[in-house]
Amino acid sequence: MATGVKDGLAHRFSASRGEPASIHPALFALVGLLLAVVLIPFVYLIIRAFEKPLPEIAQLLLRGKTLEVLGTTTALLAMVVIVNIFLGTLIATGIHFVRMPRAHLLIVPAVLPLAIPSYVFTYTWLALIPSLSGVFAAAFILILTTLPYMLLAILVSLRRIDSGFIEVARTLGLTRTQIFFRVVLPQIRGSISAGALLSGLYVLSDFGAVSLLNVETLTVSIQNMFKSSYDRGAASVISLLLILASIIFISVDERIKDKKAKENVFKRLSTDDSRIKSASLKTLLISTLGIYVTLALFLPIYVLISRFIGNPNPLDISGLASAALSTVTVSALGALIALLFSAPLGFLIATHAGRFSRVSERIILIGHALPGVVIGLALVSLGSKLGPIYQSIFLLAFAYALLFLAKAVASMTFSLQLVPQVLKEVAATLGKSKTKVTTSVVIPIALPSIGLGTLLVFLTAMKELPATLMLRPTGMDTLATQIWSYAAINRFNDAAPYALLLVLIAAIPTFLLSLPWGDWESKADGTKTRVGSLM
Amino acid sequence: MKKSLKALVVATAAVIAASLMTGCSSSEEQVANATELTVYSGRSEEFIAPFFAEWEQSAGIKLNVRYGDSAELAAQILEEGANSPADLFLSQDAGSLGAVAKADLFIELPNDVAESIPATYVAANRNWVGVTGRARVFAYNPDLLKVLPTSVTELGNAAYKGKLGIAPSNASFQAFVTALINAQGADFAQKWLEGLKANDVRIYPKNSAIVEAIDKKEISIGLVNHYYIWEVSEGLGREINVKNGFFKSGDLGNMINVSGAGVLTSSKKYAAAQELINFLTSQKTQDQFVAQTHEYSLIDGAKAPAGLPVLTDIGAPSVDLNALKDIQKTQDLLVKVGLL
Amino acid sequence: MTSLDVSHLSVNFGDRTVINDLSFTLQAGEIASLLGPSGCGKTTLLRAIAGLLQPREGTIRLGTQLVGLSSVVLPPNKRRTGYVPQQGALFPHLNVAQNIAFGLSKKEFSQAEITKTISEMLALIGMPGYENQMPTELSGGQQTRVALARALAIKPKMVLLDEPFSALDAELRNELRSEVVALLRAQGTTAILVTHDREEALVSSDKVVLMRDGKIAQYGSPEEVYESPISPSVAVSTGDALVLSAHQAKDGSTSYALATLSAPTGAVSTNNGYVVIRPEEISVSKSSAAGVAGTLIQLDYYGHDAMLVVKLSDSSEIIRARVAGPMDFAVGDLVKVEHRGPIRFFANA
Repeated sequence: MATGVKDGLAHRFSASRGEPASIHPALFALVGLLLAVVLIPFVYLIIRAFEKPLPEIAQLLLRGKTLEVLGTTTALLAMVVIVNIFLGTLIATGIHFVRMPRAHLLIVPAVLPLAIPSYVFTYTWLALIPSLSGVFAAAFILILTTLPYMLLAILVSLRRIDSGFIEVARTLGLTRTQIFFRVVLPQIRGSISAGALLSGLYVLSDFGAVSLLNVETLTVSIQNMFKSSYDRGAASVISLLLILASIIFISVDERIKDKKAKENVFKRLSTDDSRIKSASLKTLLISTLGIYVTLALFLPIYVLISRFIGNPNPLDISGLASAALSTVTVSALGALIALLFSAPLGFLIATHAGRFSRVSERIILIGHALPGVVIGLALVSLGSKLGPIYQSIFLLAFAYALLFLAKAVASMTFSLQLVPQVLKEVAATLGKSKTKVTTSVVIPIALPSIGLGTLLVFLTAMKELPATLMLRPTGMDTLATQIWSYAAINRFNDAAPYALLLVLIAAIPTFLLSLPWGDWESKADGTKTRVGSLM
Repeated sequence: MKKSLKALVVATAAVIAASLMTGCSSSEEQVANATELTVYSGRSEEFIAPFFAEWEQSAGIKLNVRYGDSAELAAQILEEGANSPADLFLSQDAGSLGAVAKADLFIELPNDVAESIPATYVAANRNWVGVTGRARVFAYNPDLLKVLPTSVTELGNAAYKGKLGIAPSNASFQAFVTALINAQGADFAQKWLEGLKANDVRIYPKNSAIVEAIDKKEISIGLVNHYYIWEVSEGLGREINVKNGFFKSGDLGNMINVSGAGVLTSSKKYAAAQELINFLTSQKTQDQFVAQTHEYSLIDGAKAPAGLPVLTDIGAPSVDLNALKDIQKTQDLLVKVGLL
Repeated sequence: MTSLDVSHLSVNFGDRTVINDLSFTLQAGEIASLLGPSGCGKTTLLRAIAGLLQPREGTIRLGTQLVGLSSVVLPPNKRRTGYVPQQGALFPHLNVAQNIAFGLSKKEFSQAEITKTISEMLALIGMPGYENQMPTELSGGQQTRVALARALAIKPKMVLLDEPFSALDAELRNELRSEVVALLRAQGTTAILVTHDREEALVSSDKVVLMRDGKIAQYGSPEEVYESPISPSVAVSTGDALVLSAHQAKDGSTSYALATLSAPTGAVSTNNGYVVIRPEEISVSKSSAAGVAGTLIQLDYYGHDAMLVVKLSDSSEIIRARVAGPMDFAVGDLVKVEHRGPIRFFANA
């Protein structure tokens, strides 16, 4: 009977016009399991939060301090997101449209700051300006940290704009500004929103930078509450508030972004001829980019290197090596687990798009803003009851997967949607069942993009700190934990080599992420086309 | 095929649920000859690792040490509860120890463990013992400050306008304010804090920053722990022009906090853990603490760190260290006054 | 190959009716064009036949198999139709051989059979040796050909082509079109070709299905729809047409700008309406005595013929005439125009 009910449920959820195929019960169970796993931190929070009597919960939520923290968080969010939108659009559009030699390489230094964790950023800037503190300083640092997300998101869309639109607009006599606002902007609107979402959720969940700058955001407040009063109940209540904030954020993004992206299998994209030749724009672009890269990349690295060189203590090579190895191993494992977890949902979305898959996707996205400390404690609570798994590399990798699952899923759905609908239809008419269509057409085409998403999770996991501290095997250090432990006793010179090594290693996946995927192919008749789209 | 898959899923779920419900119960059986011991250490690796190494050698027991922030480790222990893999928790402040004690996760230590530590620095029912002393002092620049304050309550006076530095986000400062609230009441503490604020007190993120600022003559006086002048000097690699000073005897500004240790109830190696505590509280190790980390030894009659009065001569107020665990109300007060 | 029977088909998108009670049949081996303006529903009809969407009402039968009924829909992978969408849509991650063989299941065919089919198909489309090329390396026309080969490889019951030549330039388009049509005929394939190009519809098919607003306006052989359109709007859809207001008198004569013809039409009452004339049915001469006088105001030279625009002296009507051969006309000439063709009179509704 259970089978029947589940089949019935699956059938109801998947019924859409003309598609009576039902979801295979195994897939349904897998995705259900995935959702259950994702919900572990929420369950933890709710249990802890409701250990408190309701009036106390209400008082916690409504007291002045909470409102103040909310205000600070909102102000910070607003500043970072707005500046990112403005700067990101400016720089990305410039890189894409302004004629410059090696224009596509410009994106690399602009995105490399992703390799630097926000706490390392803040340490280096504090070294330069010791009095740095407050909301504006935090906004400054977070803008530097999150701008690459915005740039990457917008560039993806820009690269898919059919240059035909722009050429037509030009022949119709529109000025560049008009073309930008009427032709380009509508097509990148969804990406801007996606970039804003990524930046915003990052700001919500960041702890390192804001705490060092004495700004109390929701996450800092939660962490302080865990630490100071050991009142996990109160901290959990505030965590639920954090989740509410991210739900709101995600809903706004849902409204803004395009539902159906324009699908073109082959189309003429910007060739060099259609780039704008303008000395003044070139100068503007180079100077803006230059300022950003200096502030976000060169200065921090300069500080790290000078600290490293000025360190009288000898270098602990074996410590560095083992920390690096641990970092890479457990982050790679975490990325793989995230991929494995997001695969069933991705498969579901590609094959049986419908209410169930949409709901599942939303549930997973909400976890995006959960701070590491919450996931860490939830897994401590659960994991300590599970014997040898506790404080094992596996559990830590699992924590990473949970923490960054939202990123993996978002990137997977994006990659899958890149596959044009018409290819799926043709495959169906050629005799492939829905599942076969997914395996023989959708997945192979989406695979490179999925790979990049996994790379993003890998990169983010390397920088993670709070959950790592709690869940790592006793005696194992990652580069991040070493940086933290030296910085905690003010040994910045000793922390520097670890920070440098982390940045160096993280630069590799970052570099890969920044490349303009989707190579130009020359056709026999000389025009260039791109096949599908890889990113 | 489908049916057996479903059965497998249900069975797995049942196993997980069952283990969640019951958890592994902490065993009462003690391991006779432990070969390994797990320590959660809020003291940083840099300072404490050599001591651990020494004990490992002499006791022949391997130490698995988990380093972290004292408060975060305490929160983790509270979450782990009876399933904690830790045998010993070495904390940097009494507040964390009190929180774990309150949750009944420490065992009562027999009287012969850490007998050298005076009762003042031991929890009431011997849940945890102090290991080193960390005195609150005022650090000052002798070139700038000629007349030294005698009470922490003077710091709101005009003489210190714009010249005092504090680190309100620091756990030791908050512990001090908590002690102030416990001793004199929340109103008193609030008035004192408001007085500082009105007196242009300078805020720093860390104690070391305060000491550096004193050395640079940005400020002339700051409220820190006694060992920071050494920590900063060693970090900078040079001498600094900062000295430690104590308030008059009995003044709350002279509060002594402790780093301490306790044995977890979840441990199966009480004997070995207690051995470690004995080592840490032995005369020899205590003297080394004084020499290397410049903390105070808690043993009666022990030598003080260079240039400082002996522990019993500081004139510390009597403070119930157990009561320092609730910093939430202190933080709220600091926020209310606008210092956090 | 199979026949197609569409009966009372209705398709909705939300509450918008895109296809409304549409019926037509196609014999096995026939090629039909779906002709009509954008938005008339022709692509929707094609997709319904392919099984890519579900009709609200009506039935679709491929041969003897009922594939589409509003309550039950046979999914597209079970219908064995060969669908060639706009722009070919080759799988970018597979080479030409893999694209062509995509629909051939390894369970039903041996590797040898598959390889043989691939070479046969490549020979058929005139691209032997292209097995290992990737789709990005092919030109637009080559991609369309491979897409067709891919559809034919599965020996489909019917081939459905959605404006497959629209992306190509004119010269290539004509060449490719005649190749494809020849190929389809040689294989005896039943096929439906969606197009918005009138000439393409007339030249490629056995049957032209004119669609307008989700319904069939006229359906018949190319000659039928061209020479005997059932309404002036159909006439305009199938070719250049001259629509002149006309009057039918009691005595049976029809008068319009170019003539008054007394040939009995069998009408018993007077009627106002329109006469539809094809431009090639008008002769223009500088020297003839017969005909209506007018002035040549425009000359559009197409190479193979020319379109002359003449303004009649009396009625100021604009007449367009198609003439072939060497041009001895120039703008401003005084000419005589004569109608040499059937009278197609349509009374006002």
